[in-house]
Amino acid sequence: MISLFERYEACPDRFFDEVLLPEGKPREHYDKMIHRFGQFSTEDIRTRRQVVNVFFRNQGITFTVYGVDEGIERIFPFDLIPRIIPSDEWQRIERGLIQRITALNEFLADIYSNQKILRDKVVPAELVLGSKHFIREFIGVKPPLGVYIHVTGSDIIRDAQGRYMVLEDNLRTPSGVSYMLQNRQALKRAFPVLFDRYKVRPIDNYPQELLRTLQEISPTSRPEPNVVVLTPGIYNSAYFEHSFLARQMGVELTEGRDLVINNNKVYTRTTKGLQRVDVIYRRVDDDFLDPLVFRPDSKLGVAGLINAYRKGNVALANAIGTGVADDKVIYSFVPKMIRYYLNEDPILDNVDTWLANNPKDLKYILENLDKLVVKSANESGGYGMLVGPESTLEERERFAEKIVADPRNYIAQPTISLSRHPSFFNDCELAGCHIDLRPYVLYGKTPTIVPGGLTRVALKRGSLVVNSSQGGGSKDTWVIDE
Amino acid sequence: MLSRVAESLFWMSRYVERAENTARFLEVNFNLLLDLNDIAIVDHPNYWNPLIRVSGDPDNFVEHYTEYNAHTVTDYLVFNRQNSNSINSSIGMARENARSIIDSISSEMWEQINNLYHFLQSMTPQQVHNDPFTFYKEIKNASHLFQGITDNIFSRTEGWDFIQIGKYLERADNAARLIDVKYHMLMPKNGQEQDPVLDSFDTIQWMAVLKSCSALEAFRKVFLSKIDPENILGFLVLDRTFPRSIAFSVCAAQEALWRISGSSRHRYANNADRLIGKMEAELSYTTVDDMYRKGLHDFLVDIEHGLIRIGEQIHLLYFAYHTPKIEPHDISEALPFTGIAGGRANWSQSQQQQQ
Repeated sequence: MISLFERYEACPDRFFDEVLLPEGKPREHYDKMIHRFGQFSTEDIRTRRQVVNVFFRNQGITFTVYGVDEGIERIFPFDLIPRIIPSDEWQRIERGLIQRITALNEFLADIYSNQKILRDKVVPAELVLGSKHFIREFIGVKPPLGVYIHVTGSDIIRDAQGRYMVLEDNLRTPSGVSYMLQNRQALKRAFPVLFDRYKVRPIDNYPQELLRTLQEISPTSRPEPNVVVLTPGIYNSAYFEHSFLARQMGVELTEGRDLVINNNKVYTRTTKGLQRVDVIYRRVDDDFLDPLVFRPDSKLGVAGLINAYRKGNVALANAIGTGVADDKVIYSFVPKMIRYYLNEDPILDNVDTWLANNPKDLKYILENLDKLVVKSANESGGYGMLVGPESTLEERERFAEKIVADPRNYIAQPTISLSRHPSFFNDCELAGCHIDLRPYVLYGKTPTIVPGGLTRVALKRGSLVVNSSQGGGSKDTWVIDE
Repeated sequence: MLSRVAESLFWMSRYVERAENTARFLEVNFNLLLDLNDIAIVDHPNYWNPLIRVSGDPDNFVEHYTEYNAHTVTDYLVFNRQNSNSINSSIGMARENARSIIDSISSEMWEQINNLYHFLQSMTPQQVHNDPFTFYKEIKNASHLFQGITDNIFSRTEGWDFIQIGKYLERADNAARLIDVKYHMLMPKNGQEQDPVLDSFDTIQWMAVLKSCSALEAFRKVFLSKIDPENILGFLVLDRTFPRSIAFSVCAAQEALWRISGSSRHRYANNADRLIGKMEAELSYTTVDDMYRKGLHDFLVDIEHGLIRIGEQIHLLYFAYHTPKIEPHDISEALPFTGIAGGRANWSQSQQQQQ
């Protein structure tokens, strides 16, 4: 073992360590990297840290934190040590995710048409029909190619045994893919030599793949479908990503006020008159899309957009109403969906989930609040959750009241010891930090995944929450060819 | 280009130019008062009231202040956010516009506007009063730096043309207002067409007008030291080479509009092009005598109104959703050159492309 890693403690009895085997030797796929890092002095690391910081600052890669008054723009923390996934593990993840996304898409197509799965009582009808993300008006509206979820970003974690499990499916407007792309650029600048030693599978074609996917779902027969990105605007926390993706794809970044509907067709207002739009990659939530149909106070959307969509004159990615399937309650039924629609066993496991609206589960949840993670079914970004082992008695009591008042809105999962990966706390000290993985699945004619994803890392010591809004950072993620 | 982006580029540029012009008026007024110190009462409202008439709204001013003096006028024109034309408001608006299209402009342009904004936030009225010259110079330099960065970095695309239009329309408008107000003050009330008897007092004031357009040196190169109102008017209104004259600004705005629409000297594609072409032609063939004959005030007011109409047409044509049609009687005005088909050509093409 060499200098930088000498003082690193893996704690193999409590956590799965991504880099070191329980006996302390590096896993095979990390061997060359550890060797290389071992040759760096603290000074080297500091210089490279500087290179990366300048890169991110110049790119303006920032995100916005809600609920904090001062200095709301922050640079997303980036950890210099890449996370490596060997190709056999990746193949399993890839197959597992494609299986899962296929089943979830079948599910959406089903509940927005014949609702067979509800009539067969595989999923309780009241959970679907009562979900605030189930949009009744879209029953019978079939999106192009029958695809609802064109861009998804499932969160995958590893438990203490190193088992890959899906923690949640983000089927609405998952963000973070720009960090995945930028992290790779940053690391290439900082450690060009490291890339010589591994066959790292490239991810730079993601924007092209995304554009191809979006063009595939064009409902019109025009040869070069006009795709636009729809953003809520400069105050949105992910605005950087919206503008980044638009620039990378070479398409217009639009706000609601740039679009007009004429005769149920969508146009951008340009200095050369109106230009027809075929596909909208929208990063605006369902609720804000069309003030005539959803929230009348929304200034982010376009009046008449939903009618244009229903008439089949424009495609939306993702389709409307997909939120019903990434509800954390519905999540617990995904393995059943996979068996029901595909007649296969799930390749990737779910995390055990107790539903508060099931009286037996509720009792268990309330008795074990200090051991469980309780989540609100419809919140994302780490808001509205209780991490039992880290909570105070008072917090638990307050949360218990909320659960009892609205059981449909809560689920509980065991506190999973997320796998750990050595990361820099400062220039010379490594510590094991919890990580997860968010690969991005694109679904046009077929589902595809760019190899890798965003590895988020909890840089607060001991914290299990990796969301960027909660002080998490990220790592470059390598899928390697052996 | 998206209408929203074009509109923001236009206004970003226009507001920066507006702030610079306001700074120029104020700076020169302070200068002037120093020169006049021996022969007149400096804090006399007559020296401050015209500034409000040039760059602001007198009704709005009297709502906030009781008298015209150095302090109140500076406060109103520099700091007051209730005055939508104050330097603070202008730079705030320029920054908001730039921010909303931050991915369409270079980061250097954004940084420059942002720096200027934060510089203004850090200033107090007392600081400005203690050293007005340094302050106004900062503003002018910041605007020049912004324009220089834009010149050197921004691609010569449609967006560039909208930046130019915003800048030059604003500049022409400010020049017209400034001359109008100063002329009011300086010309003898009886016998407009006679040569006024210029005493040193008036000469100094006219020089101040030239200075506020940074025109004194350029003027001297053409007219040596013959500081008389006719030469000055000819220079500030009609000179084709001086970049802050009205004729130069209108011509530059016209070129940018033509590049966008593809209009040329012999055909216009839309109402904005028609109006600016008409104004440019008029300025080309007008003499100082013509201006006097019409009455200088009327002449300048016509220009101000013409510029407003051009702004409205640009808005309707490029920024707003509903695009206007050329009214038939307007087309007939173009007949001597091109005939109806020619006058319409570009317009109907762009209509077809929308289908």
